[in-house]
Amino acid sequence: MTVLAQQLVLGLLIGSLYGLAAAGLSLVFGVLKVLNVAHGELIMLGGYGAFWAVALLGMDPFAALALVVPAALVLGAVLFLGLFGFVMRADEETRIKNSLLIGFGLALALHALAVQLWTADERSIPTPYGGAVITVAGLSLPVVRLLTLALAFALIGALHLLLAHWRWGQAIRAAAEDWQAALLTGIDVRRAYLLAFAMGTALAGAAGTLVTIGYSISPSIGLEWTLKALIVVVLAGLGSMLGTFTGGLALGVAEAVSAAAFGGPYREVVGLVIFVVVLLVRPRGLFGR
Amino acid sequence: MSGRGGRSETRWAAAILAGFAVLALVPLAAPRDDVLNFLLVILLSITLAESWNIVAGYAGQVNLGHAAFFGIGALVARTLWIDGTPIAAATAAGALLATLSALVIGVAAFRLRGAYFAIGTLALGEISRTTVGNVLAEISTLPTATISTYRLTHRYYVALGLAAVSVAVVAALARSRLGLGMEAVREDEEAAEASGVGALRLKLTALALSAALAGLAGGLFAYYHISYYPSHPFSPHWTFDAVLMTFIGGVGTLHGPVLGAVLYVVLKEYLAVRWVDFHLLIFGALFVAIVLVLPGGLVQAAARLRGAWRR
Amino acid sequence: MLEVQGLEVAHGDVRALDGVSLTVGAGEIVALLGPNGAGKSTLLLTIAGLLRPRAGRVTWDGEDLRRVSPHLVVERGLAMVPEGRRLFGSMTVEENLALGAFAPRARAARERSLERVYALFPALRERRRQVVRSLSGGQQQMVAVGRAMMTNPRLLMLDEPSLGIAPRLVDAILDSLVDINRGGVAVFLVEQNVRAALALAHRAYVLEQGRIAAHGPAADLLEDPHVRQAYLGPFGR
Repeated sequence: MTVLAQQLVLGLLIGSLYGLAAAGLSLVFGVLKVLNVAHGELIMLGGYGAFWAVALLGMDPFAALALVVPAALVLGAVLFLGLFGFVMRADEETRIKNSLLIGFGLALALHALAVQLWTADERSIPTPYGGAVITVAGLSLPVVRLLTLALAFALIGALHLLLAHWRWGQAIRAAAEDWQAALLTGIDVRRAYLLAFAMGTALAGAAGTLVTIGYSISPSIGLEWTLKALIVVVLAGLGSMLGTFTGGLALGVAEAVSAAAFGGPYREVVGLVIFVVVLLVRPRGLFGR
Repeated sequence: MSGRGGRSETRWAAAILAGFAVLALVPLAAPRDDVLNFLLVILLSITLAESWNIVAGYAGQVNLGHAAFFGIGALVARTLWIDGTPIAAATAAGALLATLSALVIGVAAFRLRGAYFAIGTLALGEISRTTVGNVLAEISTLPTATISTYRLTHRYYVALGLAAVSVAVVAALARSRLGLGMEAVREDEEAAEASGVGALRLKLTALALSAALAGLAGGLFAYYHISYYPSHPFSPHWTFDAVLMTFIGGVGTLHGPVLGAVLYVVLKEYLAVRWVDFHLLIFGALFVAIVLVLPGGLVQAAARLRGAWRR
Repeated sequence: MLEVQGLEVAHGDVRALDGVSLTVGAGEIVALLGPNGAGKSTLLLTIAGLLRPRAGRVTWDGEDLRRVSPHLVVERGLAMVPEGRRLFGSMTVEENLALGAFAPRARAARERSLERVYALFPALRERRRQVVRSLSGGQQQMVAVGRAMMTNPRLLMLDEPSLGIAPRLVDAILDSLVDINRGGVAVFLVEQNVRAALALAHRAYVLEQGRIAAHGPAADLLEDPHVRQAYLGPFGR
């Protein structure tokens, strides 16, 4: 019983990062109707950014967020202006399909680039807090992973507040709901798209940093994380960031349960099966409201 | 995506098959293992790219789970072959099972449109890879008796034959009513459906044909490699390779995937000496550029250059 | 102030506007009448910059608007209430109105504009925290007009503001246009309810099959035999 409870807790901890990873994808998909399948590679880049910040600059791993997030914001703006911005003129179906292809090519290129820069080895960041563990009711909670959960939740909360109250956050929501009406109220919709894409990339960078601190990364984790984020988006739908975060926790728990029931190697399968089933039940209305 | 009429496709098919006839002489003229291995990889890539091209180029569906069909072909052929079935029968069985699974998967997955079909098939491909990797974790190695009689030339001719078959199939498809129907579905599914074209039936036919060729290619893979992990042919990179080669050459044409495959493998071999995955960086960037500015790939670029030259 | 010259717009191969010319002067109320499919919405969307003309031009205070992005057209003082309202349904009344004052010039006048909108439609003040989707059609139309007024326009274009609204509220909406006009804002109104439109407009144009079929002072058009027969019916509806 304690073993299962322990698994569930660990599932919740990793699930918070699934939620954070999915939030960026969901923001970009919901606002721009662009499906960026290179999202996982952006997470991977964020992770290596943090790795560099710690290894080269000697920063505290969590403080690396302050460097990685702004850098990812800029990278996102560049990617939008250089690549994804060009598909925005097409109608929605062509836009999603072309963005998928662009993301696909970008994913391959970024993966190859990461192998060149950092080799194919798995890496993680040793934290000063090391392997400290808190024990509550017989469950051991690794301090570092608790911190990543707290930070993931804080970031989601900040995003939620930005979208609700910041002027441009409201503009982003308006553009997501009806871009023509947004233009007619004087909103620079293209800039709202640029901001949303940059924020989505920044979230990917933050997720990558936390993944590297609490777990580990390698150049090939991109596809896995893109799929995780897609699964969560499918589970939680679009529109609510807090809902997306909850969806991430749910996926973490589902994986833990399936690992307990069918054995560790099937951890990855459960999410994919959920994903395919939901897709098949709601083939069109999936991402709609 | 440019669908050319059957006539020019037939001429291209004749030219490519003539090229293959020349390649048939290579084991006699230059019986060197490195040459044969290199050409075999190109031929296998051509088969894989052409098989993916049937669904993407003609029926307009981006299937990101293609590796599953390749993997099923390899898995069945290898298992039966090692158990004593002749390799031809084992490969046929693998291709048959790949085709059947395409029909089953297709009925479900074609409920999805556009990008949703793409990510749905990607997930299905990953499910098959993970499951095979978990059930068959042990490496698969040929029995010593088989290794002692291993002849690379045999594998080479099988690869050549398969590439020829895949080119012939796509050429025949491009000329046929079936191919025309698929192109109608690709251009506008609702309009095609309204004019009496059974879209689902056509898409299923395309996927089945594609899976059959991919399954045969999987059989070749099982026949060619002495040892590999059973989940390896299920890896998404087989799909990604096919996508890159087809798009960069020219999706929806007969010769585009051939051109793309040759370029891809040559570049990969050339760069592999110094940079491990550098070809993927170049091809990834090239792919993005092609999606953005030249959706017809190199074939379209060549046609434009010719047009500019004549003027 | 607003000048449209020889405007031609096509949807694919179908010609929607075929050489339309008209003007709206400062402080005027101008109505645009015509049957369904005549191209009225197309004309408004082209002026707002959401559709690009094939030929002809739209000028605003002498400036060619053809190359101006739609959000900057708004910034120049030309607002539009689109057909079907097109509100941000998941947001509150207050948020919708705030988004109207998004552009810099509108934002500077935000408090004053908000007071003006609440004065026009007191019902909105009571419901300012309500989600727009939960409002009735008439109240939503008030929000739509309010949101456009928040952009602090000099010309307000409206596409069928009475469509799908309870008759009792139609009057309230149309009356508000007179108030808005008294405040110095020109109004360019596309309206099915021809009698009501001509009653409040100074001038009117009749658009048929993409061309201007008639124009003149509203009172004259009310007496015009063609207009009476085509739009007011044999018994004057």
